Amino acid sequence: MKEISDLTVPVGLRYTKDHEWAERKGEKVRVGVTDYAQDQLGEIVFVELPNVGDSLEKGQVFGTLESVKAVSEIYMPIGGEIMAVNSVLATSPELVNSSPYEKAWLIELRPQDPAELDALMDQKAYLEMLEKAKAE
Amino acid sequence: MEAGSRRTPLREWHFGHGANMGNFGGYEMPLWYPTGAKEEHLAVVQRAGVFDTSHMAAIHVSGPDARWLLQHCYTKDLEACVGKSRAPLAPGKSVYGAFLNEKGEVLDDSIVAEIAPDLYLVVVNAGMGGAIGCHLSGHAGSRDVAVRDLTDQFGKIDLQGPLAGKIVARILAEPAKVLDSLPYFSFKGHFDPASPFAAAARLWDGTPVLLSRTGYTGEFGFEVFIQAERLVQVWKTLLSVGEPLGLIPCGLAARDSLRAGAVLPLSHQDIGAWPFVNHPWPFALPYAGDGASFTKDFIGRTALEQAAGAGYTYPFAGYDLRKVSAEEGAGVLDEQGREIGKILSCVTDMAIGRYEGRIYSIASPNKPEGFEPRGLCCGFIKVREKLIPGQNVEIRDSRRKIRVEVVADIRPDRTARRALKDML
Repeated sequence: MKEISDLTVPVGLRYTKDHEWAERKGEKVRVGVTDYAQDQLGEIVFVELPNVGDSLEKGQVFGTLESVKAVSEIYMPIGGEIMAVNSVLATSPELVNSSPYEKAWLIELRPQDPAELDALMDQKAYLEMLEKAKAE
Repeated sequence: MEAGSRRTPLREWHFGHGANMGNFGGYEMPLWYPTGAKEEHLAVVQRAGVFDTSHMAAIHVSGPDARWLLQHCYTKDLEACVGKSRAPLAPGKSVYGAFLNEKGEVLDDSIVAEIAPDLYLVVVNAGMGGAIGCHLSGHAGSRDVAVRDLTDQFGKIDLQGPLAGKIVARILAEPAKVLDSLPYFSFKGHFDPASPFAAAARLWDGTPVLLSRTGYTGEFGFEVFIQAERLVQVWKTLLSVGEPLGLIPCGLAARDSLRAGAVLPLSHQDIGAWPFVNHPWPFALPYAGDGASFTKDFIGRTALEQAAGAGYTYPFAGYDLRKVSAEEGAGVLDEQGREIGKILSCVTDMAIGRYEGRIYSIASPNKPEGFEPRGLCCGFIKVREKLIPGQNVEIRDSRRKIRVEVVADIRPDRTARRALKDML
């Protein structure tokens, strides 16, 4: 398992306590899971994503990540309508492990309230949360 | 000691090699290494893998009444258990069975190895050395038998996979001698240098080992019992001589998916505090030729004979790799949607897939051209009514429902029973 100092946590993204990230891309917001999440889950072998056009609230389950050991739910960091899903993951789920912030983005959504994005943790706050969880 | 705080001598090595660690049976153990559990699983099916299994416990049972005590407590009939001819257990042979309580419930499963007519090595699961040792002592009465818990007094490495023979030959002092006539469920040597049996199997540097043709992956291979202080050096040497053949270290996640695909139970999960009957492991019980009555008396026998209604345990295989969690509230539904039981284990065997409905392994000699398995969900269910192989049921947890097939076997073309001479 990676030490916190070995984790990649890019500046400029927003983070949730469930280890999703969200990034503003013009009118859309792109969502994925963090390096910490993929490291904890182990090798991802299957990714289940929602249908384009679905509207989901902040905190609702939008899909699952399946590793050899476990199935984990992934939650909407903010509410909105699903504009696109990353279809590459259907055949290459292992990208979640190798490129969690770039190639393995999960969904793009149209936010129902852009202010929800600003309420999420920034890089510094997310790292602090990880440190605190580790200390406990 | 708190849960998860017990360590094997290899803990630092695991950490140093980036293992994702987790608690198993009170020990801090590697779940997978950076290569990932999928690659580890495939390595054992196609090449070879090594597992640190030093968390497992063992008990020495010795004395003139040692055999009597095991006949009384163990589910195998030691007088009729070896091979198709049901020969008595003899020195150098081992068998798989279980220890039950009076209610016929499983305390633990175990391999019993006869080292000599008055000396047996009883190998049990992590953390179970004390409990099974006490159970055996408690039933010894005034008999002339000594029970000694060897927990943490030895290390163990499981070398598993079709290339395991070629690899183990490279670390043995006299490979031709040691590997001659070593069939499935037999062993040679002893890990205690003071044992008179230690000379029968030594490594390149003279380290004595107990080398056993067993394992828990369904694939060809060995369990190597060794003094704890020699464990790290032997582990490193195995990896360096095995690396050119594709040997990699494997964690408990791959061990779990390999054993489930091989239809082997995980103690306290697939077998446990319910009567040990109506399951895919009748060979672990002393059934007579009629498959119904028992050939000997043993603790739990009466309860098993009266255990109608205890439910039925079946292996299953899914149609893709998606699985469900065997969590609280998860269950098994029949074709009418009625809840008929629970999920015991549910994992993904990454080495198998279906082609026109039939299951093939990546190692199947007759696999269809271009066949690349994506993995299948598999495991065990325990249901109230009898099912037959080929029948479909649904397994569900809080997030999904999956159709799976009750099967007689899961991963085909396993190598565990292959003749050693064909594997060198």
